[in-house]
Amino acid sequence: MSNGDQRSMIREAMQSIAQRKPGKSKLVYDKTKRTIVAVSEGVTTAKALNITADDADMFGVVTLSSGWLREKWPHLTKIGSIPVNFSSWDDGDALTQLELCIQGSGTQAPATLVFGQQQGSPPEGMVISITPTDKPTHRADVFVSPDNIAYRAELFESGEPAVDRREVVFADIEPQLDLRRAGILETTILKDRTVLCIGLGTGGAHVAVELAKSGVGHFMLVDRDRLSVGNVVRHPGGISQVGRAKVNVTRDLILEKNPNAQVDVHAVDVSFENREMIAGLVQAADLVVCGTDNRQSKLLINELCVSANKPAVYGGAFRRAYGGQILRVRPKESPCQQCFVSALPEEASDVEVSSQDDADAIAYSDRPVAVEPGLSLDVLPIATQLAKLALLELLADKSSTLNVLKRDFDAPWYLWLNRPEPGTQYAEMPPLSESRDEMTINRWYGIYFERDEQCPVCGDFLAGFAAAYGIDPSQLPALPEKD
Amino acid sequence: MTWTMTQRQRLAAEHQILQNEGFTQFGVYHYATYDSYNASGTATTSSGRNYQLFCIIPPGYPTERPSLYITDPKPLLNYHGAAISGLGVSHAMHTLEPHSAGWVQICHWRSARWHAGIVLQKVFLKAMLWLEAYEQHLATGRDLADFVGTMQEAA
Ligand SMILES: [Zn+2]
Repeated sequence: MSNGDQRSMIREAMQSIAQRKPGKSKLVYDKTKRTIVAVSEGVTTAKALNITADDADMFGVVTLSSGWLREKWPHLTKIGSIPVNFSSWDDGDALTQLELCIQGSGTQAPATLVFGQQQGSPPEGMVISITPTDKPTHRADVFVSPDNIAYRAELFESGEPAVDRREVVFADIEPQLDLRRAGILETTILKDRTVLCIGLGTGGAHVAVELAKSGVGHFMLVDRDRLSVGNVVRHPGGISQVGRAKVNVTRDLILEKNPNAQVDVHAVDVSFENREMIAGLVQAADLVVCGTDNRQSKLLINELCVSANKPAVYGGAFRRAYGGQILRVRPKESPCQQCFVSALPEEASDVEVSSQDDADAIAYSDRPVAVEPGLSLDVLPIATQLAKLALLELLADKSSTLNVLKRDFDAPWYLWLNRPEPGTQYAEMPPLSESRDEMTINRWYGIYFERDEQCPVCGDFLAGFAAAYGIDPSQLPALPEKD
Repeated sequence: MTWTMTQRQRLAAEHQILQNEGFTQFGVYHYATYDSYNASGTATTSSGRNYQLFCIIPPGYPTERPSLYITDPKPLLNYHGAAISGLGVSHAMHTLEPHSAGWVQICHWRSARWHAGIVLQKVFLKAMLWLEAYEQHLATGRDLADFVGTMQEAA
């Protein structure tokens, strides 16, 4: 057998092993030759050791961006070669083209991309040569050029095929991500939707990332806080991100999941001083997701959403996250936050105190309230449900696999309990296994309550005042003037 | 800042509620020069002492909480003869950040508990309760919080 045949058999066998699929050849370690050889599948070799996928799982992978390559294609084919930079991960085990990276590894590996076989003296360092192939085009290691020809790529170092074998694959982000969502979610609809996410603590950031995974295309993020070390046990942002603004941390997490998303960040406080600016963001959104814990900011957002007629979903954990609740507001159709606060003042106020700011908002500053955050585990069920309700709102009346859920999720208010917290009205709940009709942990309860027709935010408050105080709204005299 | 029609209607109704509910010592006033609003008036305690109350209507009203100040007497002194405004935010005295003019700010509803359903009549009622408690404090030296408790905040 010629060396060339052996080399192509080894390549074929290695690729089969890497893809954990049966191939025409298999790899064995020849104990006599003390070397690896490829033999035809089915051939038994007495003095050889079969090599398994686990043994062989050591190919480095070089990932190029298909989108980038299509864009550079005219240039590459004309000039013959272009530089390309990689983020090198895990001691070079994975080289990911920088254009694909939201966050790099910190180590860069430069290379030259060459169209066709390298002519003349090879450039320094790594060379990736792109040559036509007759392999099927659906494969990850095949690139289809703008003129519809299939190519493959091979890595050379100092003019030789690379010693450490590396497979060169092409990442075509959008089609590859859409493929996984198609059929469940209407990706073309979600791609055009804009979500304003206010409050990017543990819950809010998780919701944003879930929406990104589902294919939502436009995000506006609002939170004035920075990620602290203490946040890391709950927040999807990690220790490497400590000190960064939560809006930026979350933007990167979104882009890691949906690189084509458009993300605008606003590291500002949700307060009356920023009312006009936030009103502008609300106006530009299709849906508002509110994950802030304090009531003032919820009520401010509520007022802005009702006057702009934008649906909003509000989520929050109870103290120490023994449970949580979600309010979905469709202005003038379902109760708003103000209706909720008026109808159920206690329910609306049992919030988790997860940061010093929240504690300060509740306490007078000379009487501190302890920060008592719950577990990430207990916040995530609420975030997940919030994301699902958000998707339902975004898909609105468009046909969707999720449409069947509209029947299940038609209440304005949702309640979830993680544990029968002592000292609460839920302390005596029966064990999960014993209950049929009573409330238990780990179930979503959709609760109906009426919209306040005379709500000062979403209703006719003048009619309410007329009824309660006997004033005639049509006959209100002008206010006394002062100067 | 331009006020919305809804805000102007609300303020006109608030004035009318004060008048209808027997809070005629208070009113909502419009300042044409600045197109601004405040609610103010003289509160008289059970002992007959008078206090000037001044409530600034913020641009985000009624979703945004209005601040309520005692503008006279100034300075307002505590049992020990110290200016209460100097105590700043105090749980014991139920006060919030004083105005730069040295007016004591009464904690009627904390921002975290305020909502658009609360009418100014309730705010003035709270202020009058605070003044009664303040006079008890002057008489006994005990914390004001001892007399108003947690100041029932549910509207
Ligand atoms: Zn309402």
